Amino acid sequence: MSTAVHATSASARHAPRRAHAFVALVRQGLRDNRRAPLTWGGSLGAMTALMTALWPSIEGSAAKLVDSYPAGLKEAFGISQLDSVEAYVDAEMLSLMIPLALGFFAVRCAVRATVGAEDRGHLDTLLALPLSRRTLVGASFAVTGLVLLSILTVIWALTWITGTVVGAGMSASALAAGLVNVWPLTMLFAGVATLAAGIVHRPATVTAIAAGALAATYVLDVAGKLAGAIEPLRALSPFRWYGSAIQHGLDVSHVVALTLVAVVLAAAGAQLFERRDVL
Amino acid sequence: MIAAPPPPALAPPAGERHHRATTAVIETHDLCKRYGSSRGIEDVNLTVRRGEVFGFLGPNGAGKTTTIRTLLGLLRPTSGSARLLGLDSRRDSREIRARLGNLPGEFVYDDRLTGHELLRFFAGVRGMTDLGSADLLAERFEADLRRPLRELSRGNRQKIGLIQALFHEPELVVLDEPTTGLDPLMQEEFLTVVGERRERGGTVFLSSHDLDEVERICDRVGIIRAGRLIAVDEVQAMRGRAFRHVTVRFAHPVTAAALDGVAGVHDVVADDATLRFRVLGDLDAVIKELARHRVRDLEVTRPTLEELFLTFYGHGVPA
Repeated sequence: MSTAVHATSASARHAPRRAHAFVALVRQGLRDNRRAPLTWGGSLGAMTALMTALWPSIEGSAAKLVDSYPAGLKEAFGISQLDSVEAYVDAEMLSLMIPLALGFFAVRCAVRATVGAEDRGHLDTLLALPLSRRTLVGASFAVTGLVLLSILTVIWALTWITGTVVGAGMSASALAAGLVNVWPLTMLFAGVATLAAGIVHRPATVTAIAAGALAATYVLDVAGKLAGAIEPLRALSPFRWYGSAIQHGLDVSHVVALTLVAVVLAAAGAQLFERRDVL
Repeated sequence: MIAAPPPPALAPPAGERHHRATTAVIETHDLCKRYGSSRGIEDVNLTVRRGEVFGFLGPNGAGKTTTIRTLLGLLRPTSGSARLLGLDSRRDSREIRARLGNLPGEFVYDDRLTGHELLRFFAGVRGMTDLGSADLLAERFEADLRRPLRELSRGNRQKIGLIQALFHEPELVVLDEPTTGLDPLMQEEFLTVVGERRERGGTVFLSSHDLDEVERICDRVGIIRAGRLIAVDEVQAMRGRAFRHVTVRFAHPVTAAALDGVAGVHDVVADDATLRFRVLGDLDAVIKELARHRVRDLEVTRPTLEELFLTFYGHGVPA
């Protein structure tokens, strides 16, 4: 009959503090994504800067151009008046391009660190270390948030510098508000991806679920603006609460609400990930 | 090879050493893991004692990796329980992993990292700052820690895998096919390192296909087949029961009848001047019988693991 080794034996080593693992994972995650501010931030920032640079030359004709748009189209894309560089950047970049691109980036980031790592076999090595899966998921969520912030900062810098150089009259604070507003929206889809990763093992499926939710909720918001019958359903779309911070200022309550939903989704995903098999 | 400074003991203080043979570092009770309707492992009852090197053997798909992954908490047991280092494998998983080193069957990690970067990262997660032990192991295994993993051969990546499993001086090391891809010299060094761990009271649980390696280093072995642990035995006892394939080439034709009545000889096939047969147990009587004829060549080979399982454990009961 054998006797179990007591955990309190002299040789017992206690698990390191959770903070050690969290900090190490965040540091490693940032290192893994160190090129993202350049690639994602650089490309989206260049496009936004280009729009800003074009503004002085189209400023006079923009109002006429908008007048020629169908009312439904203007409603769908939130273009009421194109009378400022902020409104122009909003219509061209912040209403569709940047939220969808960075929403997809956030999904990709969350998938890569969890179910993607599982698919590549990395978790067999990583989860032999003294860290909980909740810590792994939490660190992945934090990395996604930090990298998104760095990307948004690059976009802001490129756009504001360009606007200043060409004399577009871009407000630094309005632009910052517009870009900060993107963060909770995109983090929410990182939360959706994390939740899906807590249930599904295949990275392609998790990406499809989260990216599908991104596209579907965007379409729901646009369709709700156009069709009165489905207008009440817009409340289900995060894009309904995203608004247009570059033109109307940051709605802190919406930012907080979207961030809370993102955190709740990620926390639920972490809990499910903790309990499921790693294949 | 370099002489390492005296490493710390991996077991309890000397006063507790007499428990080495009786304390359980791994203990499973009716451990069962099913994947839906598919079989994983069934009612595995296993005890690995402190300070022993335990070999876990079985053909591909037998359940070795499933057992290891269940012990490590990567898979949730369908039923049953496991305790490692006296702690519950699910509830105390993080504490267990602080005292455990693991090399998975397929060691893969972000291949953009160099060995040093990977080890620094893992040390950070473990709350360690000193990588001295990793550097010593790297010297012993002749591992290049400066190159990205993607630039390393399979064997050299495996060395990094071994270092990350051992560098924090774990009390229990779980290794799934640890010598895969290693050249013979490094296999030898690995066996030396494992022996040193045992000397310091550490426990090693390793799965392997290599019977020679298992025979050389393991104190006991467990054999798993079709998800069930069918035998646990001392290596010497198992070796004594193992048959060998024998091929003898004579200077002249010999019939199978030449070995009639020789103890332990089975399945004799004669082909002109060649006899092929299997021997169970002592070879002495066989050699003496063969010596009656002029022998040109004699070849004795051990059975593959699978043959061994089929012969001795074909009905799920040790011979």
